[in-house]
Amino acid sequence: MSFTSLPFLGLVAGAVLLYYLLPKKIQWAVLLAVSMAFYAIGGGKTIGYVFYTALTVYISGLLLGHFHEKKRRAPKEERKAVAAKYKTHRRAVVAFACLANFVLLYVLKYWNFTADLLQPLADQGGVTLPLSELVLPLGVSFFMFQSVGYVIDVYRDKYLPERNFFKLLLFVSFFPQMVQGPISRFDALGPQLLAQRKLDFDDLKYGIQLAMWGYFKKLVIADRAAVLVNTVMGDPWSHGGGVLAFTILLYCIQLYGDFSGGIDITRGTARLFGIDLAENFRRPVFSTSLTDFWRRWHITLGAWMRDYLFYPLSLSKPFSRLGKFTRRHIKGKLGKIIPTSLATFIIYFVIGIWHGANWRYVAFGFWNGAIITASLLLAPRFAAWKAALHIDDKAPLWRLFQMVRTNVLVFFGRYITRAPRLLTAVWMVKQTFRAPQLHQLFDGTLLTLGLTGGDFLLLFLGVAVLLGAEWHQEKRGEIRLALETKPPVVQWLAILVPLVVLFCFGVLRADYISSDFIYKQF
Amino acid sequence: MSSKKWLGLFFATVLALGACVAGLNFLVDPFGVFSHKALEWPSYEMTINPRTAKMTYLKEHHDEYDSYLLGCSSTSSFPVDKLNQYLNARFYNLIMYGADLLDVEQQAVYLLEHYEVKHLVVNVYLDNASVYDSLPDPLSYAMPPECTGENAGAFYLKYLFADPRHSVDKLRAMGQDTYLTQSFDVFHESTGAYDKKVRDAEAIGDLERYYEAYPVFANYPEADCRTDESAITGTLESLTRIRDLCQEKGVELLVLTAPLYHEYLNYYDFDDAASFYIRLAQVVPYWDFSYSSVSFEPRYFYDETHFRNSVGDMALARIFGDTSIYVPEDFGTYVTADNAQAHWEALRSLQPPAAQDYTASVPVFMYHHLDQEGNDSTAITPEHFEAQIAALTQAGYTAVLPDALRAYVIQGTPLPEKPIVITFDDGYLSNYEYAWPILKKYGQQATIFAVGATAGNTEHYKDTDYPITPHFSWEQAREMVDSGVISVQSHTFDLHQWPDYESGRARENILPFEDETEAEYRSVLSQDCEKIRNAIQGSTGEEVHVLAYPAGRYCDLSQVTLVENGFDTTFTTEEGGNTLIRGLPQSLLGLHRYTMHQAVSVEQTLAWAAGAENSD
Repeated sequence: MSFTSLPFLGLVAGAVLLYYLLPKKIQWAVLLAVSMAFYAIGGGKTIGYVFYTALTVYISGLLLGHFHEKKRRAPKEERKAVAAKYKTHRRAVVAFACLANFVLLYVLKYWNFTADLLQPLADQGGVTLPLSELVLPLGVSFFMFQSVGYVIDVYRDKYLPERNFFKLLLFVSFFPQMVQGPISRFDALGPQLLAQRKLDFDDLKYGIQLAMWGYFKKLVIADRAAVLVNTVMGDPWSHGGGVLAFTILLYCIQLYGDFSGGIDITRGTARLFGIDLAENFRRPVFSTSLTDFWRRWHITLGAWMRDYLFYPLSLSKPFSRLGKFTRRHIKGKLGKIIPTSLATFIIYFVIGIWHGANWRYVAFGFWNGAIITASLLLAPRFAAWKAALHIDDKAPLWRLFQMVRTNVLVFFGRYITRAPRLLTAVWMVKQTFRAPQLHQLFDGTLLTLGLTGGDFLLLFLGVAVLLGAEWHQEKRGEIRLALETKPPVVQWLAILVPLVVLFCFGVLRADYISSDFIYKQF
Repeated sequence: MSSKKWLGLFFATVLALGACVAGLNFLVDPFGVFSHKALEWPSYEMTINPRTAKMTYLKEHHDEYDSYLLGCSSTSSFPVDKLNQYLNARFYNLIMYGADLLDVEQQAVYLLEHYEVKHLVVNVYLDNASVYDSLPDPLSYAMPPECTGENAGAFYLKYLFADPRHSVDKLRAMGQDTYLTQSFDVFHESTGAYDKKVRDAEAIGDLERYYEAYPVFANYPEADCRTDESAITGTLESLTRIRDLCQEKGVELLVLTAPLYHEYLNYYDFDDAASFYIRLAQVVPYWDFSYSSVSFEPRYFYDETHFRNSVGDMALARIFGDTSIYVPEDFGTYVTADNAQAHWEALRSLQPPAAQDYTASVPVFMYHHLDQEGNDSTAITPEHFEAQIAALTQAGYTAVLPDALRAYVIQGTPLPEKPIVITFDDGYLSNYEYAWPILKKYGQQATIFAVGATAGNTEHYKDTDYPITPHFSWEQAREMVDSGVISVQSHTFDLHQWPDYESGRARENILPFEDETEAEYRSVLSQDCEKIRNAIQGSTGEEVHVLAYPAGRYCDLSQVTLVENGFDTTFTTEEGGNTLIRGLPQSLLGLHRYTMHQAVSVEQTLAWAAGAENSD
């Protein structure tokens, strides 16, 4: 079920009413019931996967809890021995949870890609690899990562496992975050889901405001930009480099509007139930480096990778052995950072393919991994240059330069993810430099790509509002807090204008058939 | 402001905005569902959704009708005025675009149960064999709840909260409404049929030009259609229920099948299509017009699937035995369960008709003044004129009057062997003095298009002092007409003015002034038609139904206005031949003429008469 559909709004409204009207004891059950309804309405099959994941992590959690309990109950002096005794068991449980989920995820999301790759080999043996016909269920990457994170946390004794299956099921399936995340942690989200709450008007207000802001980004900006992006990317070969670059720029805007807008709707919706979901975006346009960008873009995915992949990897025995080896054999900084760089590379590779099974995402992972590794390697040289040029790290101009540089790198990365194929992306970059045909940006060509002059104006104004708001948040803090000090009329206008804009330029869109297009052959 | 207050304000604003949208949609009512008078514009509303808006219209007007015509868009071309005449009834055409037989059944049941009904005519189209119970668009194709039994609350909510741009469009269209049909108001509210006044007044001639104007026939789109068993079953079951209900209520049911363009029929497997029509006859006997010689002539159609009103006229004439108009022999068969199989078997080998069976090529010559010098660009000496007429006569050409053209097109009356038309513009005295005797001598006929305001001006232009080439008088006109050689027709009464000689703004031709309203222009043109008709008819007793456009200029609005004023034959100054088509009155409009003057050789004259554009 789409966030932008009327049934979703109806479901949320109904859920909020039930949540605050029914006894507090069953508030969490209301959330669970609504979450299940959400899947049922959107096509029932996902429920099966959710149950599967919930069950695997529930059992894993209980087992881990059981071993933990054994250790806790053992006399103090025997605890270490008990822990050592169950170490393998506990690892096996984590491995089970990871395999049970990631193997399924692999089959659902990556098997066909691998099968395609392996088919030439299989051909030699006269084997035809079977392809999976399973449809990728909604949000599977999100709830599986979130659930596996829970098991690892329990393994790490960060918290005790949840003993009520249905409560854990709610954590796995909480409906607002099913489409686009964020990937939450049980210790942060679990208690909030299970808490007993009385109606807080602030929550409702902030929830509505945040969701409206999300709808603005998604409906007014992203969906509008998508029209041109889809038109051009449907046939990139017949466009000049300038138009292609402009399209990628719009794609960056679209992606940010769509993803961060969706997250705002998610967080806004959760807030209606008094639940504060993790922040997933922190104004990535202001990033000063690619590393910084990944700390501001899809934050919870990055954090998940950091906590559950990067650290375990860096601290693993093979890596420490590798570190010792490189320090001994390679002189200078290079020898020190090779393990970190390798881990970084692996992380971005995984982040790349997390987005989908395609060479483009592999390349995207490499693009990010390579730049970040290179900047790690070159950091001392950059520092020397900066010192020589008397560049003040805190100077606004320098920061602006860094931001522009980062955004340019991100921009070129988007060629890779948006092009229909990897080779096309390469061709598109070449075309951008070799045959920019810049006149096409001004001679009306852009108006033939599905958007009107009015749409461009709206996009421009929309992006201006977005950047203005983000600049305000970056420099001065929450806009809604600033608004609260304004006269009532202004506050009312801040309700009316967004509603009208959303309705006129977001809700009323392409599906309209003007009377001129209705079938009639008089 | 507290959060509680903010929330109150928020929900109040949402409600207020929702109320604005609903209020606008209710007030403007672009789909014509709310049955109120404010901003009522039935023809627009019917265009946006004929199903709802026509039912709304009938709620108010049903006592003006006692019979109904039901079916998809091709139903429009069975003219209700003819049905009224033949059946002594008052028909309303309920055509709905994209109608399937479920739509038809729902409307029929509603009509039969709520209104007094004498006759029900149901049109079945071939696509009823492949589509049943479809709803391509929830707003524009929805049937009113009283016909479907659907929940009325949900129905009205849907329109209350429909995209308000529909309402805005209607308001905008209100400012752009014109007398001529536009894409936003295609229906004639009082008949329910498409308003085809422009199509009925458009000049239609040779095929080449028709293909240019209607490229779809030159390059008919490719498609592959199949009949669908469940659609056929649905269609036949609906028809059965309609038949039974009509019997029960004592209502006359007439079922007919609309003409198909032959290429459209080719979309289907012939056996499948025939099987559908044969099964149809098991349910109810019907008049079949679907496939005949008419199916092969693109000019009887205006798009892939829609035939012209005059074809509908022919169909009804066949059903009701009206022999006063032309109907192709094989057009229309009464099909029953007994003859269906044989009828469709016979159609399998149907061949296209020969062009000469229903079309005629008629060149028209346009003369003006005759004088001894013949050096004006439009003048000719009597001697040269006589040489041309003599040569034409000798070559076997027979000059006919426009009445003969009309009789050919409307009644199908044959034309003489090699027909030509000779015309004179303006009404010069020289036509009376020289041309008339020469034509008489050779046994040929001609038409003179006289300007009413200058008739009888022998010295001065109207009541000015400006000299004028002498024009004949009404008495002289009568003499000529009485001889049977000449027909005097209209070159307008006074819409061919000489700007230099007029005190006010001159009307040099029939076109409207740029700053004139449609109503003003139509009134000027209609009054002029009446004046010239009175003048000619009063003096010669001739029926005035032919007009030559001054300077050959015309536009859609003039064409439509003239047809409405009884001018069924019009001539331009555009050079070229003409093709008359039986059963297509539009082929009498905008006829081309060859400009004749001293420099036109006898050979050239003969070449034009023979149908060659140039003698070289």
